[in-house]
Amino acid sequence: MPDLLEYAGLILPIGIILPLVFAALVAITPRGKNDLVRALALVGTMLPIAWYIPLASAFDWSNGSATHFAAKYQWFTPLGLTASFGADVITMLLLGLTVLLGPICVLASYSAITERVRTYYSWLLILQAAMTGVFVARDLMMFYVFFEFTLVPLYILINLFGSTNRKAAATKFFLYTFTGSIITLAGLIYIAWQHKIARGAWSFDFNQLRDLARGLSFEQQKWLFWAMLAGFAIKVPLFPVHTWLPLAHTEAPTAGSVILAGVLLKLGTYGIYRFVIDFLPAASTYFAPTLAVLSIIGILYAGLICWVQTDVKKLVAYSSVSHLGYCVLGLFALNSVGLTGSVLYMINHGLSTGALFLLIGFMYERYHTRSLKEVGGLAKVMPIWASFMVFFTMASVGLPGLNGFISEIMCLLGTFQASGLHWGMGDGRVLPGATWGELGPWYAFAAGLGVIVTAMYLLIMLGKIVWGPLKEPAGHDHGHGHGDHGHDDHGGHAKLSKDLNAREIGVLMPLAVLCLVLGLFPQPLLRALEGPTREMARNIDRFGRQQLPSDDPRLQTPSAPVTAQAAIAPGASITPPAPAATVGGEGR
Amino acid sequence: MTDLINQLPLVLGMAGDAAHASGGHAAGAHAGPVAGQLPSWVLAMPFLPLLACVLCGLCAVFKVRTKLPAVITVVSLAAAFVVALLAYQATMSGGAGAGQYAVVKAWDWINFQFGSQSTQSVVANFAFYIDALTCLWMLFVCGLGAVIALYASEYMSHDVGPGYTRFFVAFNLFVFSMACLVMGDNLLLLFLGWEGVGLCSYLLIGYFYTKPAAVAAGKKAFIVNRIGDVGLSMGIMATFVVFGTVEYTKLFELIAAGKTGAGQDLATHWSVWVIPALLTVGAFGKSAQLFFYVWLPDAMEGPTPVSALIHAATMVTAGVFLIARVYPLYTADPSLTVLTVVAWAGAITALWAATIEMAIFDIKRVMGYSTISQLGFMFAGLGLLTPVGAAFHTFTHAFFKATLFLGVGAVMHGFGGQLDLRRMSGVMWMKGFGLVGIAMLIGSINLSGVPFTAGYFSKDMILAAGFATPGTMIGGAQWVGWILLLTAGMTAYYTFRTYLRVYVGPKEFVPGDDPDLVDMGRHPKGTTLDEHHAHHGHGHGHGHGHDHGHSHGGVADRRLAHRQDFDPTTEEFDPHPPGLAMKAAIAIVMVLSVLAAGLYFYKGLPGGEHGGWVGGVVHASQVSGSQAVVDKAHGGTFFGQDPHKVMYYVSALIGFIGILIAAFLHGPKGWQGLFIGNRQKCDVAPRADRLANLFGPLTKLARNKYYVDEIYDALIVKQLWLTSHILHWFDKWLVDGLVNLFGLMPRGAGSIARKQQTGVLHEYALRMALGVALVLAIVIVVKVGGVR
Repeated sequence: MPDLLEYAGLILPIGIILPLVFAALVAITPRGKNDLVRALALVGTMLPIAWYIPLASAFDWSNGSATHFAAKYQWFTPLGLTASFGADVITMLLLGLTVLLGPICVLASYSAITERVRTYYSWLLILQAAMTGVFVARDLMMFYVFFEFTLVPLYILINLFGSTNRKAAATKFFLYTFTGSIITLAGLIYIAWQHKIARGAWSFDFNQLRDLARGLSFEQQKWLFWAMLAGFAIKVPLFPVHTWLPLAHTEAPTAGSVILAGVLLKLGTYGIYRFVIDFLPAASTYFAPTLAVLSIIGILYAGLICWVQTDVKKLVAYSSVSHLGYCVLGLFALNSVGLTGSVLYMINHGLSTGALFLLIGFMYERYHTRSLKEVGGLAKVMPIWASFMVFFTMASVGLPGLNGFISEIMCLLGTFQASGLHWGMGDGRVLPGATWGELGPWYAFAAGLGVIVTAMYLLIMLGKIVWGPLKEPAGHDHGHGHGDHGHDDHGGHAKLSKDLNAREIGVLMPLAVLCLVLGLFPQPLLRALEGPTREMARNIDRFGRQQLPSDDPRLQTPSAPVTAQAAIAPGASITPPAPAATVGGEGR
Repeated sequence: MTDLINQLPLVLGMAGDAAHASGGHAAGAHAGPVAGQLPSWVLAMPFLPLLACVLCGLCAVFKVRTKLPAVITVVSLAAAFVVALLAYQATMSGGAGAGQYAVVKAWDWINFQFGSQSTQSVVANFAFYIDALTCLWMLFVCGLGAVIALYASEYMSHDVGPGYTRFFVAFNLFVFSMACLVMGDNLLLLFLGWEGVGLCSYLLIGYFYTKPAAVAAGKKAFIVNRIGDVGLSMGIMATFVVFGTVEYTKLFELIAAGKTGAGQDLATHWSVWVIPALLTVGAFGKSAQLFFYVWLPDAMEGPTPVSALIHAATMVTAGVFLIARVYPLYTADPSLTVLTVVAWAGAITALWAATIEMAIFDIKRVMGYSTISQLGFMFAGLGLLTPVGAAFHTFTHAFFKATLFLGVGAVMHGFGGQLDLRRMSGVMWMKGFGLVGIAMLIGSINLSGVPFTAGYFSKDMILAAGFATPGTMIGGAQWVGWILLLTAGMTAYYTFRTYLRVYVGPKEFVPGDDPDLVDMGRHPKGTTLDEHHAHHGHGHGHGHGHDHGHSHGGVADRRLAHRQDFDPTTEEFDPHPPGLAMKAAIAIVMVLSVLAAGLYFYKGLPGGEHGGWVGGVVHASQVSGSQAVVDKAHGGTFFGQDPHKVMYYVSALIGFIGILIAAFLHGPKGWQGLFIGNRQKCDVAPRADRLANLFGPLTKLARNKYYVDEIYDALIVKQLWLTSHILHWFDKWLVDGLVNLFGLMPRGAGSIARKQQTGVLHEYALRMALGVALVLAIVIVVKVGGVR
């Protein structure tokens, strides 16, 4: 697509502007034209897909770590602020998820949102613009502005369109995450300020700041690590700063939950990937075990809490806390396998958990309850819904052949591999399948126990809501999707069929197909992520070592550890490798 | 579904470049020549069932209300069986030597280079490793799959429509998963199949999903299996770290050379027992050994064809397959630690399950426990260094246990779901059930180890190994042998207990209370079942017998009176005999389980002098990498005699004693009870009941399965449940409470500052100010830190 590349500087901002234009159009639509609003919103979210497809085909997937489609515009020169855009492989993947979920959320809201339709869809579109902005930003301040700005649309969506306790949930969501990101901002500004001191000018450029941050002293990195992590960890959310999430999820409208789980949580892991680990390799190495322990606690703790939930939406919300534990664990394995697993986890969790929230939303529209005590055995009356439910639950459980497995096993394998302690052979070499690192088999085992817990709570959920004798809320009107149940915001919408209708199936199908395809054919993604994550792991090792205090035990191991690997050729007898092998292997 | 459609060319064998064949492993002691160029048509083995699964899925989409899904399934599985035969032919031809294999790749699944060297890669492709062991397993998986699908086509016919389609979708998916498990060329693809069969097992156990017991059983099966799967996945990861690969080809080369991937001596490396130990945890989970067994009896909640195929013949043997597949790794350990554990675990499980079987009354659960017990024999065989015995027993067991299950299924189908052996008698003599009775007899003599049956020969190999294998290799091998011998006697007893109670003796029955199945046998008084069905256009086109000879009235109507919609004054119940499809399937598996005995005498293959055809097949497979160790497992004696010879007589004797005890305690009066029985009614066996009373508490203990489920529930489930509640409380009040407390502070400050005005905006402003203050504070702190 050479013609596209000529306008490369413009192509990324278009992805932000498109939804904004449609948000404006939706806002100025005359009152009462709800169908027009919905159509506009659909077009406004479909166009970004049309924007994304040529973008993805023009993207050089074999060189994913480089910044493509870069563009830079001056913004506020005295402070070095620029409007700068660019995309690398992780940006592209998360962008893909964002644009995919856009029309899905619009379509899923057709029957659920019948009042204040204009407000709803324009904020939904603004939210999409903000999320796109976060991923394509290459200027730290711009990133931060978009990052914070995602809060406003979601705050409004929850506050106006949520369930009974929506106001409290929205406020808590806003304040909690906002407080965290203020601390992150402090960290970012500090790095920029250090840049001013060192280089004489302010800058918020990603690459310049990264190069500078990597060279900061270990002591500085330690402080910065926690400051930067504060905002991102709350966003993920990592134990113990997760409590806003179940509340927000439970009260949010369906589309809000889908976007929250699908994309907004990933802003946290994206931030850790891009700013914490890449900027502060020494501190990340130093604190990797701490973060791994927090992740594992989150996996098991949230998993067990899921077990006793009676609100199915809250259950899935807590399961997000548990699942994202794997994602962060993979990141702090600090090796290529773990990082790749983690990036894939971001995508896969968005697909499967997003779909689960959609399904729960569809059920809620029909029964007006999410309580497992009031509703159950729906396979009898909603077989299509039940089939999708089982499918996406299995994707969430991490069943091999579906998408969740690839990312989960890679996060675990990355963790398992990463141990100089266990796999080092005492002579500067590690076992062939191992990397140097701070975690190791026990961490993987502890996290692996989470796999049992996951199966437990998700199958118990299935056992209650899908299987078993049919249970419908008292007074539920068969065949009618609504009734007056005291929900002021649910009156007057179209009657729904008993089982899923064509629109709802159409919303779920793309997600289902992707779950299957990514589970059976993950190789293109793995190939695309291989190089960038390897490069990142190498940088963590190289720059991390420079800044670690000289008495750190990690420095007692040789710098570029050689991975011992006997040559395996059919028919060749296996001889021990020469002791003085000097092949430079990336240990991580 | 698009990706599945993309696979179509592969299934049809048109993808020329999709396949590549590899040679035999040269480093092994039994290096063989290249096993021919196996073309891509072998991919049909896994992908035909997958195609059938998709087609059945389309049947669901188009709301097909015929038996089309069953037809699709039977045809595709039969075709897969033919492909398996051809693959066997191709693998074994070329003359031979051990360790021949071919790898046929479908597509790159995971191929990820994590380090700068190309060898630092995680490679796990959708590729299939075909050697003799693979073919052995695929032959009975596809073959039995086709036969049992034929049986299910009738058995499930009361559910034609969405349920029927759902059944066959899961059925086909199961065979596909099993094919991945057995044929995968790496441990990760094995794991895919491993969890895939677990999913299908979950879906099929819970087939009657409105029944809470079925739902709970499915859930339990999946979760207990997951516990084992954690062990398996850890084992796979450890394999990867130590050997740098999970592909069999490379793995077996390294093992054959006795090296880890880093060139260390494998025999002295920690991984030599750690990896097998971890894999064994997975094997125990899937094959219901030791404390993992609890899920399998409950799995009997599933439809009987499922119990026959998945929970008796194929899936539960996956653990045996896993250990056999990487047997060279197990024997690489000079102290054979893990194999010793496997031998003991197998023996203990076999005995434990047998004691329960002797006490319980549910004939389907008797078969379920019997499967656990027989799997114990197979594991003991693996542990006692007779992989041939284990594989042979797996093979024969697949057929005779399928026969037994299909026979039990026919009874269940015919008697309204009745499974209590005290509520039926003389079934064999009822019209239409003659074949079932004969099949049950064939299955029973196989299971009991009556001489010259297939089960007799395969079990003997394991029993003999108990005495032949020196205790210096496998600690306490003799004791394992004695436990197994005792269990063999108990097996004969409980098998014939069931047979003599249910299938022979006076004709008598009480129908069960399964609504669908009762409906098949009910008809208004004064008509026969045939007339009734002809009148009402019942879906069964086959002949229905009506037997007026059995004792009606009495118990039968009393029992049915509990059913609200059954009016004993106007209706009666007749047993509903199996139709053509079920009879054909029963006949096929029955004949096959008889013929399987002949395989023991087929010595045409190299290595066949020990274990016949299966011996030759195992010898030709990768298991031959352990040959050196296996060959050493000789020299033990049974009272000074060669155990391999004397065991024929000893086990035959033990088996007969078991059968005689069964006849004495449960046999009906007259020739049917070998003239030593005295039972005259279906629900009373005077001697057995007296004996059971004599053992009082012990009987009760066994009858309640030693309360193991209850103990698990109290010790693990309840505790975890309590913990979860505590954590939930902790999360709500402490973790979140702290957050709320922080949230209240500015609000409190705000309420002091402002008098009347309230507004969200104010609060934000305040928060902002606080935030900025915090920023400054942090900056200062960090700055100080930075300067230092």
